[in-house]
Amino acid sequence: MNITDQLLAALSLYGLPVLFGVITIAAVGVPMPVTLMLVAAGSFVELGEMKLWQVIIVASAAAVLGDQIGYALGRWGGHRITRGIVRRKNGEAKMAQARAFTERWGDAGIFFSRWLVTPLGPWLNLTSGLTGYSWRRFFVWDILGESLWVILYVLLGKFFSGRVQALLDILGNLAWVIVGLVAATIVGWQLIRYLRPVKHASTGKAFSKTIA
Amino acid sequence: MTNHDPSSDTVARESAVKRFGWKQWIALAAFAVIVLVTILFAVRTVRRALYWRLHRDEVIRPWMSIPYVAHSYRLPPQVLYEALKIPPQPHDRRPIREIAREQNLSVDDVIATLQSAIARERTSHPPGLPSPSTGRSP
Repeated sequence: MNITDQLLAALSLYGLPVLFGVITIAAVGVPMPVTLMLVAAGSFVELGEMKLWQVIIVASAAAVLGDQIGYALGRWGGHRITRGIVRRKNGEAKMAQARAFTERWGDAGIFFSRWLVTPLGPWLNLTSGLTGYSWRRFFVWDILGESLWVILYVLLGKFFSGRVQALLDILGNLAWVIVGLVAATIVGWQLIRYLRPVKHASTGKAFSKTIA
Repeated sequence: MTNHDPSSDTVARESAVKRFGWKQWIALAAFAVIVLVTILFAVRTVRRALYWRLHRDEVIRPWMSIPYVAHSYRLPPQVLYEALKIPPQPHDRRPIREIAREQNLSVDDVIATLQSAIARERTSHPPGLPSPSTGRSP
């Protein structure tokens, strides 16, 4: 039996405490088959072995707790790292840039990294803490995102009950679709941006000429 | 490159093409490849989702409990308990691994027993839904 099978067997046997532990550890950043755990929990709900509302509350709480640990590590454990960056050339400016970036994209970044691009989650927890991102905002968006993540996968597992492995294979494919869409958007946007500025620059020039 | 076809007029496009350096061509090629691969995965995702909406019969793994296997194969759990010669239990959460340990059997033996019981049950009571052998596998 591999580690995944061990975890699933433990989930079947002991239920919620296993779910809580695995999800918390994973949210801090240790790689764990959490999607599978949620989907399996949904399947067990359908079988009548677990209760839906309990699974959703326990799993969401575990994810939020793990994220808060990550944030705290970044905020209070990351001073040495920040000092190291600041001491380097242009360090101050780079930190300010990072802060401005999280200030601008923070809410959306936190929200979407909870349920859509989950591999980024633990990183964003750390960087949010590191850049001193508002804890209250982090907390609120974290709860919203994680609850959505949990509800999504548990319901999927409930709907596809008895086909946990097949569903996982489907989700694996879906993850690549999402990665592809994100990559296509980034590359496509860069191309469009490359094509546009000249137009803007020329109109800008024309505009300044008319002014002159 | 059929994938990148902005709705701008031809003049704008021509001037755009003229301004394209090798970096932009590479980006455009990458864009086309990404879009193609994404479409392939999307098609595969949808096909498998459609297939598994109608089929169950998951490969039996050591983590599964008897009710889970019974649910996956749409059989009453009693059939599987009888095959294993153990008394049925309500809310039985024991994984197959656990049952094998209790019965002093190997996990593979237990899975083989379950599989033959499922096959026997299928021949005597064919299920309502098409089995994977008749259905189109993704």
